[in-house]
Amino acid sequence: MALLEVKNLHTHFFTREGVVRAVDGVDFELERGRTLGIVGESGCGKSVTALSIMGLIPKPPAKIVEGQVLFEGRDLTELDEGELEDVRGRHIAMIFQDPMTSLNPTLKIGTQLTETLRRHLGMSKDAARKRAIELLEEVHIPNAAARLDDYPHRYSGGMRQRVMIAGAIACNPKLLIADEPSTALDVTVQARILDLLEELRKAHDMAMILITHDMGVVAEAADEVAVMYAGQLVERAGVQDLFDRPEHPYTEALLGALPHVDEEHVRESRLTTIPGRPPNLVDPPEACRFGPRCPYASLNDSCTQVEPQLRELRKGHWVRSAHPASERAGVPAEVGA
Amino acid sequence: MAVREEVVAEHTAAGAPIRQSSLWRDAWRRYLRNRGAVLAAAVFVLLVLYCLIAPIASPYDPYEVDFSQAYQTPSWAHPLGSDQFGRDLLTRTALGGRISIGIGFGATIAILLIGVAYGAISGFVGGKLDDALMRFLDALYGLPYLPFAILTLAIFGTVNFWTMVVALSVASWFTAARIVRGQIITLKENDYVRAARAVGARWHRILLRHLLPNTLGVLIIAIFLELPGVILGEAFLSFIGLGINPPNASWGSMAQDGYQAYRVHPHIIVIPSVAIATLILCANFIADGLRDALDPRTRET
Repeated sequence: MALLEVKNLHTHFFTREGVVRAVDGVDFELERGRTLGIVGESGCGKSVTALSIMGLIPKPPAKIVEGQVLFEGRDLTELDEGELEDVRGRHIAMIFQDPMTSLNPTLKIGTQLTETLRRHLGMSKDAARKRAIELLEEVHIPNAAARLDDYPHRYSGGMRQRVMIAGAIACNPKLLIADEPSTALDVTVQARILDLLEELRKAHDMAMILITHDMGVVAEAADEVAVMYAGQLVERAGVQDLFDRPEHPYTEALLGALPHVDEEHVRESRLTTIPGRPPNLVDPPEACRFGPRCPYASLNDSCTQVEPQLRELRKGHWVRSAHPASERAGVPAEVGA
Repeated sequence: MAVREEVVAEHTAAGAPIRQSSLWRDAWRRYLRNRGAVLAAAVFVLLVLYCLIAPIASPYDPYEVDFSQAYQTPSWAHPLGSDQFGRDLLTRTALGGRISIGIGFGATIAILLIGVAYGAISGFVGGKLDDALMRFLDALYGLPYLPFAILTLAIFGTVNFWTMVVALSVASWFTAARIVRGQIITLKENDYVRAARAVGARWHRILLRHLLPNTLGVLIIAIFLELPGVILGEAFLSFIGLGINPPNASWGSMAQDGYQAYRVHPHIIVIPSVAIATLILCANFIADGLRDALDPRTRET
């Protein structure tokens, strides 16, 4: 049994402007100790997927209208708030994008770290404090014992993210969800945070969901990749397979948009972009969500009529498209379609 | 280990000379820079000390009637003169101050307790409950505060310290509730609240540990903003004879005593009036200084 199984997840936001279908069909499985990278552009539903797994979506206006989140076989969407609180931080932990605002400015670092330990493991104050020092050392905060009594404003962004990570791994969770853990940080600090996450993931034998829009981060850290577009999962494959043989036109376009340092005329040439913009999720295209921007849309009439379903093209490689790359060999893309 | 060295570099580059400077210390420093507020605080403290100490230190009994001493003008024996029953006004004003200030703080604290509880629940739960509680509050807002205080006293049938506190807070906690609700709503959108929920913190812990302490600054300001209104309310009720009754003294009832003889012996009404005015002025200045010191918008980083 997989550690985490997300089945046909639909999370909608019921707003005054209409129903925003933020997550509208996401399926994936995650085995113990593996890393899944979720990529996609801003607003494609990556974070809402993560929050739905944690049961942290703001209710109202959001609601999981369909689907299951099976964690060790237990459907988390069925749990009430109290049961979810027992899971969060104990079995599934999450770290967020902006470490500058993720710590309460009025509480000492130590208070915020021991919070989890005392809550889930029922540790005494002293034991929790000792463990908190160990945790800070584990995330390489120098002089940990003294820094435990500091307030967050004395920590830099990178150090705050380390504290958040320390808090997340405090109870040895089986799954760590990292929602753009390095996006808000300096480029030099980013790499160190990602290294730290990988180091801790191995040491604690955790599975990890790494949400990012940085293909480079995914290539380095993930075992498997899920690509999301307009609330749907459009392609899922092993990291090597995905980068070598992308199938969905959107994934191809994403990879094509990356700058290549080794290319000729790299200084003169412009970066490739994807024409058009992502659809409005209140009223998305009826059939294929990527249809209006897809260079191959005219190939197949079904694109504008039938919503493509996620199908397994080859072992472990899933795609949601009527015309994946391997099925349209030799057909050139319509430029500017 | 290589990683560790890098972190040390990052750490020392970020916050080199280590000087303890907490949130409250910063606020204190900013408060001290506001001369009016410092002066007001000093006068306020002196006034409170006077009220506490004078009745103990004074040779006069503030309740003892001595007609031979009636209507004394200020002299060495009676620095503030005496009233129609020959009671020393320096002693009696302090006694009245104890009650006036006591009721003022008592009612303010009651107002804040009710306001915090109501506002925090409304803002924290949100949704339909918030809507219902706020519409109910809108309806209550129409209630005039003094008539309601009078009504409450009438219902109790007796006037003492505690009934005054209840009467003065029963129809004046609405603004406090709104302030707290607004604060909680803003604060609960913070990332650290979500982060706390992500590690499994229960709702009461989030409310008590993460949200309410962050409203403390606003609450301290609110105390000194509410205080003048409440003290004035007490003085008014006592002045029209519905509040503290003789032989007990409050500044309002003393002003009433003075009113009966203000043509001939104006000092008897002037003294409690000046005391009320001073206290209210000080509270306003202190509130102003505290707001500048504690308000996040004016906070420098």
